[in-house]
Amino acid sequence: MNENGQVEPLLVAEQVRKVYRTGGIEVEALAGLDLVVRRGELVAVMGPSGSGKTTLLNCLSGLDDIDGGRVLVEGQDLFAMSDARRTSHRARSMGFIFQAFNLIPVFSAAENVELPLLLNGVPARKARATATQMLERVGLGHRTGHRPNQLSGGEQQRVTIARALAARPAIVWADEPTGNLDTSMADQVVALLHELNREEGQTIVLVTHDPAIGGSAGRVVRMRDGHLIGDERRPLASVGS
Amino acid sequence: MYPNLTPFLVGLGGAGLLLTVVLAVRGPLTRRLALRQLNRRRAEAALVVAGSVLGTAIIVGSLVVGDTLDQSFRQNAYRELGVVDEVVSSPDPAQGEEAARRLEPLRGDPAVDGLLTVRRHGAAAVSDGKGEPRATLLELDFAAAASFEGPGSSLAGPAPGRGRVVLSDSLAGAVDARAGDRVTFHLDGRPVTLEVARVVPARGLAGFGEHGAFVEPGTLSWVAGPVGGRAGPETLTLVSNTGGVEGGAAASDQVKAKLQAALGPLGGQGTAVATPKQELLEEAEAIGGEFGALFLFIGSFAIIAGVMLLVNVFVMLAEERKGELGMLRAVGLRRGRLIRGFVIEGTVYALVASALGLVAGLGVGRAVIEVTARIFASFATEGGPLLTFTVTPTSLVNGFAAGFLIAFLTVALTSIRISRVNIIAAIRDLPPGTGRPLKRRWVVLSSLVAAGFGAAAVVAIAGSQGVGTYLYPALAAAALCPLLVRVLPRRAVYTGASLAVLGWGLVANTVRPELFDDGSTATFVVLGVVLTFSAVLLVSQNQELLLRLLRPVLARPSAAGLSARLAVAYPVARRFRTGATLSMYGLVVFTLVLISVLGSVIDSGVDRAVAQASGGYPLRVDYHPSAAIGDPAERLMGQPFAGRVAGVAPLASAEAEVLGVPGAAKAVPATVVGATPALADHGLFPLDARLDRLGGDDRAVWRAVLADPRYVILDQYLGQEESGMGSVTYRPGDTLTLVDPGSGRREGKVIAGILADSTAFEAVGPEVAGSPLVMAAGGLGEQFGDRARPSAALLALAPGVSDQAVAADLQGEFLPQGLVATRMRHLVEQDFAANRSFFQLLQGFLALGLVVGVAGLGVVMIRAVRERRRTVGVLRALGFPAAVVRRAFLLESSFVALEGILLGTALSIVTSYLLFRNDDDLQGSGVPFPIPWMNITLLVAATALASLAATAWPARQAARIKPAVALRNAD
Repeated sequence: MNENGQVEPLLVAEQVRKVYRTGGIEVEALAGLDLVVRRGELVAVMGPSGSGKTTLLNCLSGLDDIDGGRVLVEGQDLFAMSDARRTSHRARSMGFIFQAFNLIPVFSAAENVELPLLLNGVPARKARATATQMLERVGLGHRTGHRPNQLSGGEQQRVTIARALAARPAIVWADEPTGNLDTSMADQVVALLHELNREEGQTIVLVTHDPAIGGSAGRVVRMRDGHLIGDERRPLASVGS
Repeated sequence: MYPNLTPFLVGLGGAGLLLTVVLAVRGPLTRRLALRQLNRRRAEAALVVAGSVLGTAIIVGSLVVGDTLDQSFRQNAYRELGVVDEVVSSPDPAQGEEAARRLEPLRGDPAVDGLLTVRRHGAAAVSDGKGEPRATLLELDFAAAASFEGPGSSLAGPAPGRGRVVLSDSLAGAVDARAGDRVTFHLDGRPVTLEVARVVPARGLAGFGEHGAFVEPGTLSWVAGPVGGRAGPETLTLVSNTGGVEGGAAASDQVKAKLQAALGPLGGQGTAVATPKQELLEEAEAIGGEFGALFLFIGSFAIIAGVMLLVNVFVMLAEERKGELGMLRAVGLRRGRLIRGFVIEGTVYALVASALGLVAGLGVGRAVIEVTARIFASFATEGGPLLTFTVTPTSLVNGFAAGFLIAFLTVALTSIRISRVNIIAAIRDLPPGTGRPLKRRWVVLSSLVAAGFGAAAVVAIAGSQGVGTYLYPALAAAALCPLLVRVLPRRAVYTGASLAVLGWGLVANTVRPELFDDGSTATFVVLGVVLTFSAVLLVSQNQELLLRLLRPVLARPSAAGLSARLAVAYPVARRFRTGATLSMYGLVVFTLVLISVLGSVIDSGVDRAVAQASGGYPLRVDYHPSAAIGDPAERLMGQPFAGRVAGVAPLASAEAEVLGVPGAAKAVPATVVGATPALADHGLFPLDARLDRLGGDDRAVWRAVLADPRYVILDQYLGQEESGMGSVTYRPGDTLTLVDPGSGRREGKVIAGILADSTAFEAVGPEVAGSPLVMAAGGLGEQFGDRARPSAALLALAPGVSDQAVAADLQGEFLPQGLVATRMRHLVEQDFAANRSFFQLLQGFLALGLVVGVAGLGVVMIRAVRERRRTVGVLRALGFPAAVVRRAFLLESSFVALEGILLGTALSIVTSYLLFRNDDDLQGSGVPFPIPWMNITLLVAATALASLAATAWPARQAARIKPAVALRNAD
């Protein structure tokens, strides 16, 4: 909170532009977009296919380069940093949840979860203990030694969530986290994200085209053709219900 | 090379190609699918082709080496003999004249192009302080000779006139003489000095006989007459067949029969018909074949590595296309069509690779020939045979067809394997199931096959058959695995089977010490393949166990630790791919290190070899029989050599044929060396085997042989060249028949011993007929009469006397005899140096296999980067620095390469140690097992660096992957 009792902005995006160039054709995926995300928010980014949701996530998280504007995360300009510093910043401050899970197939669940911890210099023994705790937290305490291909889709996504949260990042980015799951699994995953947001104040930005998921978020940002066309906040009482 | 294989190779290759064309024509959909895949990723297609090129290149290179040696030796034969196809020689001048007269009517025979009668006299030549003990003086009619040879004859031109001589350039070079100089020839102890009229190239008639010199008719009878009938002028009738220099030899058998018929009774009185050109051409063919086969044998390891690469690349291609293959199968494409599609695609790769391999093979062959020529030049006295790079269409066709066939069969068999996709697993990118056992009928079949191989193994082991002893037990174990995995854990079965095969491969030679006695190179190839593959399987199944050693590194929460962890994770998870790469490295490194260790073992025995070769005689002196040193013991031990030369063993020699050599199919040419009992007084030549009833030790046997003409001691290689290594099986106590080809006189002999090293007795005498055979000098004279000629002596030196100094003094003192003193140590060391060079050449050739391995690793890593784009994207998203990603890829390739290198090296050292331990000869020598650590370290370091270099680019590409792009689009 600042002096005025307002929650500090965690992420500030100003006039962010992203242009894709393919075969001499330029497509403006993000057209000078502004966005502020505060700590503890669960923001759903919604919009039709091709509206720029995933591009927004990639650019705000520093996974992709931008063609204009700037992005501040915890007050630091991501694109003023070198790639190495940005990578290191990402390891410290961000977690990712992908639609396709993207677990490392040759690592076990625990090994996948401890990766960000090891990247941040946590000793191996402590990293493994934390990874196990995180897996227990997402209900997979009994699957720590299993490899991704030995887990169901819902379980894989829960491992991904555990990995995203393991290093206690400031912000978790989730790109269609339920896109590859059936309804029951999807509900469990969404409930878990809400729980983490509510109970631990975890800031989460999730991209989805599912109105049900979007509707359950505290804030919904709508996009079309690379523009922000709406930014709705819902009363806390109705969030996650 | 190998024209007999051409119909087979072309037939099979053509059938494969035709099958592919039919498949392509009859299946437009399959064809379209295959051809579009080719066009889709041109860079990858280029990689596949590049990986497959070396197989053909190695085959073509080997064949070209054979071609060049065959052709070069042929050309040398044509150069040396020119138009001379047959030589009729008589034991004395009168009979020679009679023979010439009888042959005269053959001038009109359509098969005979010309006849020329010459007189030959061996002599020592000396000029201005330089001598040549083995010169040949030919008395001939220069005009007739030029006419006999036709246009381009070296001897064309005016006759030199009395008191003058025409020298061949080989003799002129040996005595450093030129036109106008004076050269003294020592004929039968009588010196005659002639002025050099001109020097001519030693080709054709001018190259006939070693170090030729040519004089007008009557010169020889003017300067020297026969001394006691010994070594007097010899009358020869040279015969040229119709068909020119190169074609005439084809009619040798026919013309020889006519000559023998015309000679009539003279044949039984010692007049003999020789077919030198035919013999040289046969020898050329044999040498070309042996060298080609040797390089093919060495290259076969690289070819097998190439096959592994092709399998690996195709399996990876299939993995990459798993999704689309699953989809195609889902929409109704039959498995057979998938196979056909892959076969069509693979055939195009194989065709292009074979064509490129053909060109690359010519380069490889050329390089090998360049090095071989240098090696020949290093140990030949006159620069060695001139090697002319030659390529025959047969070799090109065979090389192309063999390369294509290997690639085609590999692709076809791999296609069958990779088309077995589980549709759902392929579409959903699930890992293929590994736990599903084979169907019952396949298990029964493979068990029956295992039983069959088991039975064959028992027979092979009982008979000490090299290939079968190693191969059949391995195949039996492999075929038994499907049955065993039904009752035991898979890993335990494969571990047990690989351990059993590996163990057997290592100890088989101890259990059956005669496995390598047949000299078959195939045994070594099978041994290498069996050991490497079983070791790779063992390691692949137990990588996790091995990695426990690296746990402290892998668990470190640092960039290095994370890189290492990623680096080992994929090779461990991708067992087949890793196994194939390990096999490529293991197989080639195994052979390279084996050659290096064996070379080192041989090198370490140089002192022992010198002792064996010299038998206590550090010097051998050679002189021409016509200028023999009378009473050599007195002359060579008298002033100025008194006190320096401690003993002299004179040697006489005669050409002979040996009949009844056990295992030899025909008569074996030999040089019979006669020695006096003095030979056993001043030194001792060790025997590999001896007839114990003649005495309890080697010296006793030698004394018995030198005193009793019924016994002989043989060179261990007598007859091997003619009948093939390992085929000749004589032992002490066996009998054989010595034939004097001049008189036809035969005598039975008992083998009393086998020489451990025959160097001291090799090339004794003016005409070297074949491997040496030593007997009592008295017996030699009795059987061979005048044909037995004194020609050399072995010299023992007083302690501390320099062999080099005595050699120089001897040559100066006995210049008129054209004496040549040879230091035995120098001779042995020269042989060792040539051997070393040849081993290095073989290693260089085999190193091409490493190129396959390194290229294979590069291909695997390029594929790995492509496959793991998404994973790399995730890692980068999670915060992995680009450098860590790059390091992980480099470490991964280094891990696989080093594992393969260490595997091959360890196996090789253990195998060579066991071979060393089982060799009675080496064990008896007391030489410790030498390991060339420096060579091995260099080899390992160079291979590891090359592997690192091959993966530098893919690793860099991996580090450059943009996380957002990789996550958005996996491909």
